[in-house]
Amino acid sequence: MNCPIADHNPELLLAYAAGRLDLTTTGALEQHLAGCAACRSVAAGQIAVWKALDAWEAPAVSPDFDRRLYRRIEQEGPLSWWDRLARPFRAMPLRQALPLTASAGLLLMAGLILHRDSGPITPVAPHREIVRAKQVERTLDDLDLLRQFGASGSAEGVHRDAL
Amino acid sequence: MGVAAVAAMDYDAELMLRVKAGDGISFGVLLEKHRASVVHFLYRVVQEQGVAEELAQEVFLRVYRARASYEPTATFKTWLFRIAAHLALNWLRDEKHQRDQERLDDVLADLPGRQITDGRLSVEQKLVRHVGVQEVRRAVALLPEKQRVAVLMHKYEEMGYSEIANALGCSESAVKSMLYRAYRLLRAHLAHMRTT
Repeated sequence: MNCPIADHNPELLLAYAAGRLDLTTTGALEQHLAGCAACRSVAAGQIAVWKALDAWEAPAVSPDFDRRLYRRIEQEGPLSWWDRLARPFRAMPLRQALPLTASAGLLLMAGLILHRDSGPITPVAPHREIVRAKQVERTLDDLDLLRQFGASGSAEGVHRDAL
Repeated sequence: MGVAAVAAMDYDAELMLRVKAGDGISFGVLLEKHRASVVHFLYRVVQEQGVAEELAQEVFLRVYRARASYEPTATFKTWLFRIAAHLALNWLRDEKHQRDQERLDDVLADLPGRQITDGRLSVEQKLVRHVGVQEVRRAVALLPEKQRVAVLMHKYEEMGYSEIANALGCSESAVKSMLYRAYRLLRAHLAHMRTT
């Protein structure tokens, strides 16, 4: 085509057809269009496409859209205890979150061990014991996962340093 | 762009941070502001109003679910349309849609006249416009999926190249080339409308 605009900067013609150019650039481009048949043809075609797309209106949104959405949100229910526990750590970078999560996990485990060893054994409702065991299991799983992330994170760091 | 920088310049991101802190009213404000544009965008991608609304519900549900881990690394609108584009592209790739695609001609032939809103048009003008809209819908539906999404974001949402790139997870130069090819196809498909 041998035109600096059509060959290397066609987005200028798209922006022109969309009316998204400033006045100075529009003026300069129109001067170019006057002498360049190729760009003139692209611009005319693009303006026609733009007008055609303008004519395509989307239907109105159903009036009960919000009601349906809020009903679905209600069905989701509140956050679980684990989500609430993990929430403050999610916003943190991994390097900060890892030691804090590890410390919290260790404290939880130590507390459970001390609680078991100290004093006379008091009867505990069986379902609570199951919940605790599950909590410890889940904490250990999460710590494991975080350790794996930590390992891959430091490997990435080494990789970045090598570059 | 840093998290603080985005939050400072994007009021919607600030609202979303309030949602993260437990403010349900801010979620309502975001829904009110973006509901129509998300539904309209999805409608133009999938070309079925019922499906578009279902997908839009899922978009806002995902926004709500993700509130706890939300970080404003991009503008809220870009993030919102990234979710919308992801869902729309998944839907388009679904087998169900392939069956619908075969019926596209029938669907387009039975289009309701709701796109025509100007009561001052004559019957003939309305017919011409109706046929025109059908042509546009068909031309857009013929675009490859990602090009279609990019064009709709560029045209109707007035999103810039970097925003589209962010939403589609590709480079800015890839978006420029995608849009160039998409508009070239549209110009070819709609060339006959230049005289009308």
